[in-house]
Amino acid sequence: MDNIPAVANSPVQVNSAEFVKITIYNEYGNTANTTVFTASSSYQDETFDSTTFNAAGGLLSVGSQQKDIRVTSADTTVALSGIPNTTISLVLGSKIRGSKLEIWRGFYNDQGELTSNAKRFTGIITGYNIEEDRQDLDDTFTVAVSASNYKTVLENRLASRRTNPESWESFDPDDTSMTNIYSIATQTFDFGKEPKYTSTGGRRGGGNSNNNGGGGRQQLK
Amino acid sequence: MAGLQTIIDNCNGMEINRRKVVGIQITRNEIPRVSTTPTKNPWKFSLDMPSSFSYSDARQLMEALDTLDRTGYEDITFSNNACLNWIFRYQGSLSQSQLAGIRVASPNGFVGTTLTLTNLPAVAANRVLFEANDLIQIGSHPYPFTSTTQVLRGTGSTVTVTTHRPNIISTNVDNSAITVGNACQFRMFCPNMPVYKLIPGGTKYAAGGTRISNALIRWSDSFELYEYVGTS
Repeated sequence: MDNIPAVANSPVQVNSAEFVKITIYNEYGNTANTTVFTASSSYQDETFDSTTFNAAGGLLSVGSQQKDIRVTSADTTVALSGIPNTTISLVLGSKIRGSKLEIWRGFYNDQGELTSNAKRFTGIITGYNIEEDRQDLDDTFTVAVSASNYKTVLENRLASRRTNPESWESFDPDDTSMTNIYSIATQTFDFGKEPKYTSTGGRRGGGNSNNNGGGGRQQLK
Repeated sequence: MAGLQTIIDNCNGMEINRRKVVGIQITRNEIPRVSTTPTKNPWKFSLDMPSSFSYSDARQLMEALDTLDRTGYEDITFSNNACLNWIFRYQGSLSQSQLAGIRVASPNGFVGTTLTLTNLPAVAANRVLFEANDLIQIGSHPYPFTSTTQVLRGTGSTVTVTTHRPNIISTNVDNSAITVGNACQFRMFCPNMPVYKLIPGGTKYAAGGTRISNALIRWSDSFELYEYVGTS
């Protein structure tokens, strides 16, 4: 459960602003190579959590953030102004999908000073939308990024393995399940039938027209 | 010609809007619940123009407004018109030379809505520096703040002024001079920039009685000026 002192005991008035941070991972596998974009609805830049949130980031709206007692799947949307078009280049010119989206709510005192903050959402950006709204002589652009929380991302995760040693050993280097797979690659099996070979003595029962049954070499039919 | 300044100087009605972005809910038992967002809280003026401008006298004005269009901004003031400078007139008791010496304190002279001033003149402690609603401009930043209360000189080396909005100036304003009253500037633009219609009237006559064709200008709407805080 979140403990947010700024809204404890039902204060009559709350002064708050929203803060958004998008961490774009520029290089697969290198979490240090990132580009950070921030925006807020505050009147000035604010710094917390080692991040300076840009008041001029063009934040238009923040969607609802579902919070439940147990972990549930939830999505949200952040809308940014597409004017100037730096925001459009943000989504078109970077690896925005898969980026990390974090949303805070900051609380202010009556003197306009930031006193505390509470994190409201952490998730992965799954898509974006650029919308041009042209009505008569009014022409505006909106960039909306949609994000899912980690649970949704995990639910949507697809993990499978190929039937070769490399694929299985990528999960567990000591896994020997596929070690012999190449030796049976071209063989046909009649599943459910009695085995036609032994590991030590070759075929049971003395052979047939295709195999003379002798010898110790392991063979398959 | 300065377009918006001319509108200010000639309007026949002005509405001032400083309302904040708020959320208000009245509970079932009629208790108000209020939330505010600490925005830049821009000034908004709504100006009504008379239809008495004649076309021949207003061509420069029309060109200036068309050039500004709905996106250009202009710094305006209420001090350059003898019929207008009573609006936002300084209500305190200091002279201009005494005001000119005042500086924003350093460090952290303007944090949130708390403006600390120093280098104050040696006047009696009960002298009024600012009355409520007095405008204060910091340095050359055309984004005026109002004093929300009366501020007396007192005996300290500094005084604290509570402003109507937090410090929206993104650069350091420590040690800046101040401008007060109607000398303050507002950086405004007009997102709805009205268009004009020529209607019959305004005919003039040259010497000798020659008629000069003309028209009066009717504006399509009020001028809804909005503070251009994007450059603050």
